[in-house]
Amino acid sequence: MATTTAPRSKPLVKAGTPGEKQKRSLTRKQREAVAAYAFLAPDVIGLLVFVALPMVLAFAVALFKVDGFGNYQYVGLANYKLMGSDDQLLASLKVTGTYVITYVPIAFVVSLALAMLVRNKFKGIGWVRSAFFLPNVVSLVVVGLLWQFLLVDKRGAISSLLAPFGLEDVSFLGTPSLALGTYVVISVWFIMGYQMLVFLAGLKDVPKELEDAAHIDGAGSWQRFRYVIWPLLRPTSFFVVVNSTIGAVTGLQAFDLVYVLTAGGPARSTSTVVLYIYEQAFTFNNIGYATALTTVVVALLVICTGLMFALTRGGRFDEE
Amino acid sequence: MSADPFLNRPIGRRSVLRGGLGALAASAFAGPLLTACGGDSSGGGDGKEMSFWNFYGPADDNGPQSKWFVSLAEQWNANNDVKVELRYIPGKEYLGGNVLQTAFQAGQGPDIFLISPGDFLRYYNGGVLQDLSAQLSDQTKADYLPGMLEARSVDGKIYGLPMEIEPLAMYYSEAAFEKAGLSEADLPKTWDQTLAVAQKLTGKNKYGVMFETAPGYYQNFTWYPFLWQGDGAVIKDGKVAFDTPAAVQALKFWQDTIQSKVAPRKALGGGGGDVLANLGAGAAAMQQSGIWAVSDMRAKGQKTKYGIIPHPTPEGGKQATDLGGWAFVANAKGKNPEAAAKFIAWALGSTDAEGVERGRQWNTVVKTNVPPRKSVQQAADSQGAFAEGVLKKFVSEIAPTGQPEPRFPPEVYQPIADAIQACQLNATDPGKAAADAAEKIDTFLKTYQGAPIS
Amino acid sequence: MRSRFVLPVLAHVLALIAVAPLLWVLVSVFKPAEEVFASGWPSTWTLDNLRYVLLKVPLPRFMLNSALVSVVVTIIALFFHSMAAYALARLRFPGRGIIFSAIMSTLLVSLPVILVPLFLVAKQLGLLDSYAGLIVPSIFHAFGIFLLRQYYLSIPRELEEAADLDGCGYWRRYWSVILPLSRPVLASLSVLFFLANWNAFLWPLTITRNPDLRMIQQGIAGMQGQYSSAWNLILAAAVIAAIPTVVVFVAGQKRLVDAMKTTGLK
Repeated sequence: MATTTAPRSKPLVKAGTPGEKQKRSLTRKQREAVAAYAFLAPDVIGLLVFVALPMVLAFAVALFKVDGFGNYQYVGLANYKLMGSDDQLLASLKVTGTYVITYVPIAFVVSLALAMLVRNKFKGIGWVRSAFFLPNVVSLVVVGLLWQFLLVDKRGAISSLLAPFGLEDVSFLGTPSLALGTYVVISVWFIMGYQMLVFLAGLKDVPKELEDAAHIDGAGSWQRFRYVIWPLLRPTSFFVVVNSTIGAVTGLQAFDLVYVLTAGGPARSTSTVVLYIYEQAFTFNNIGYATALTTVVVALLVICTGLMFALTRGGRFDEE
Repeated sequence: MSADPFLNRPIGRRSVLRGGLGALAASAFAGPLLTACGGDSSGGGDGKEMSFWNFYGPADDNGPQSKWFVSLAEQWNANNDVKVELRYIPGKEYLGGNVLQTAFQAGQGPDIFLISPGDFLRYYNGGVLQDLSAQLSDQTKADYLPGMLEARSVDGKIYGLPMEIEPLAMYYSEAAFEKAGLSEADLPKTWDQTLAVAQKLTGKNKYGVMFETAPGYYQNFTWYPFLWQGDGAVIKDGKVAFDTPAAVQALKFWQDTIQSKVAPRKALGGGGGDVLANLGAGAAAMQQSGIWAVSDMRAKGQKTKYGIIPHPTPEGGKQATDLGGWAFVANAKGKNPEAAAKFIAWALGSTDAEGVERGRQWNTVVKTNVPPRKSVQQAADSQGAFAEGVLKKFVSEIAPTGQPEPRFPPEVYQPIADAIQACQLNATDPGKAAADAAEKIDTFLKTYQGAPIS
Repeated sequence: MRSRFVLPVLAHVLALIAVAPLLWVLVSVFKPAEEVFASGWPSTWTLDNLRYVLLKVPLPRFMLNSALVSVVVTIIALFFHSMAAYALARLRFPGRGIIFSAIMSTLLVSLPVILVPLFLVAKQLGLLDSYAGLIVPSIFHAFGIFLLRQYYLSIPRELEEAADLDGCGYWRRYWSVILPLSRPVLASLSVLFFLANWNAFLWPLTITRNPDLRMIQQGIAGMQGQYSSAWNLILAAAVIAAIPTVVVFVAGQKRLVDAMKTTGLK
């Protein structure tokens, strides 16, 4: 980020010194540059202050022990050393990890299946597509409240529904081994309509002729999907996987939804990393430790993205 | 920030990101940019307005407790230059949320607020509690029951004035017992009996017994009596004493109630403290809760017939309960700490007739507590407040077996909370959980430098 | 072909299952308090729950706050983003590549990640507990810049050059040529931005404590603290909070899908 400030500020100073003569003496090229910087200034300054600065600040604050009352005390790398013995952090990493490796593939398969299902026109397709997308329109807070209500122990709608199978006493949100799974299912329900639309957009690019040709050659529907559609869908698939992985680790669904649905419980079984950082900062008042954790997440994010690009040969995922 | 449609970030094209990574890295190593961050909230002002954060009033429902707070502020404001402005924060957010913490973090803490003993040291060690001693007359100090002020004092200075004493007990629903063909003779006295009776009381849509399941200061508070029953403690003589049979058996008792499916994993409504939403709604036949529930039931649960019994004990254990109760405290770094202290002393410590009556109203009329002051208790007794029924039992039978809620800093509270949660809900071995918690507390105590933990 | 009938029927059934939780809650809102957990239709349809949360709970105030913040953020953000996007798409200047990359790289950073240091920045700027604090940090987001830039790249250059011949400056070109041309994409984006801001929870939760500044999501989440046992009221509030989003969705459905298609897929 810091690199962007230098070239921008210089021309701005020029632009700030008025005087008709000087202005006229600017070449067309220079005038264009000045205009560009002026157009960019509001957003660039905003992003610098509200995105870049916090990130830089995190690295600085991470070196302090900050109590809940604004007292700072320099402690060097102590906050980072603390992480080694923090088993709650380890538990949160495990939660986020488990969440990612279950949620991402399930959401992927479900939304791709839905996209294939509503790909071709049929009667009432508009309502069907909207219905799948509707959960994505309401907020995560509403989603959390809604499912909490449906999943109330013994009395909720889900319990009544499962009663014939003898499962009315199952506590989905109160049993550690079930809560994370429940969170995954609800997340999939929430996101499937959005990802379905993304897949639909990708499917639009699959040439009908290719499919028809395969059909004539006697390819069954699975074969057509496997050998015609799937390869052409690779860029979209890549986009969906990367997008939902990042969403699962650092997106709002890793915070808003768990915050309302389970508050990270029972017995910390749904405490995601971002929820844990939030707790450290605002419930336990360890701002220094929380920012140290922030820097680790940022670093992990950079590494993961780099890795992903290395693995896909510099992001060349859409070329053979 | 929140202009983040569909919560997922689109990933730009490859060239975009590769260039972006460089910039990101550059920003990361651009070096500290820390400006003055600390040292906000200049203390000792003489502001003309004081904010008073609480979880009673003015509430939407405008109930009696809300009214008590509102009229308290009105009365003060009518006679004083420095005005009190109430800010209501719903109980669940106040207790389990972060409102207060974030406010203090931002240097915008309230001038007056409520704290429970469990939270006392966090604020004391943070240096934000104002010494109230100078505003309290000897008469007031003597009026408080023994131990009440000590629990909110450090080095003889008083930092909080308690408004109430809240002992815990076991509530039971008469209807649920009758329906299960049980009588008063079946009321459990021991843990084993509790499990056995609860088994009979558990059925469709209801559990036999209920303890708090949500983590927090409140859950710890409700669990300590079971620890004490076996003569256990968290800290003894300045050293950790948590890895003991007493702690292990208490952890196991709560675990057993869940494992044998006689207690809920998730309470209804406001949780363990909410008798109305659980026992009152027929969802629990027995429920551990505090004396405050008597007024809740009086107000909204008159249809439910209930009684209380002391906490069941382990075989050969002793009676025990936890004496909670919230206190008014003043922010030493607030807008006008002097006036805030004066307000608190006036509100809860006045020994004139009006002050005693205010205490009586709070402790026996709009809410039910054991009054923390002798004069208030006498006034209440003269009106027969504790002459019969559940309240009589609370005052004469249960409260005497109690000890004040311990004041632990977050670093002590947290390992205990984790142990309770892990055993209760995650079937963790209680012995291991107790040992783990003890180790963490031990590590913390070795470097702790704050006020004495008790 | 069997699948001609089977698949559409399956689709309809699944769609019904997908919205069932929403419908269930919608119906529950009209049930009397004591029936809230009962299955099936209400014994009597009642508006008491909705009436209560609208009259006794400051829900209208929360909605007003949310509407204000969402609208202001949307307008300012679209304005700033389109300016930046115009420069990035159409103007030549030194450092264009690196500035664009830098802006795009911020897409990696989501609010939950930088929440704590952002809170510290907001605190330093005196933005805590204020409308400015709710609005200003929510404006800046690379997503909109990226989308608009994509769109501007697709506008034929000739249109702009015509204005150039007339001797218009860059501002006039942007204002009277580009901006009018971007109406459709701005409309799509405004739907997205409005929804995102109306649904925002984490930032308002972190930055405000004053109950008068509460936004709707925070308001309904807080209902749980206050009316913990009264599911009929909590659900009523949740339904009211969701209504504007559903309305905006239905009204802007086409635009939404358009926006989605341009979401960096191409």
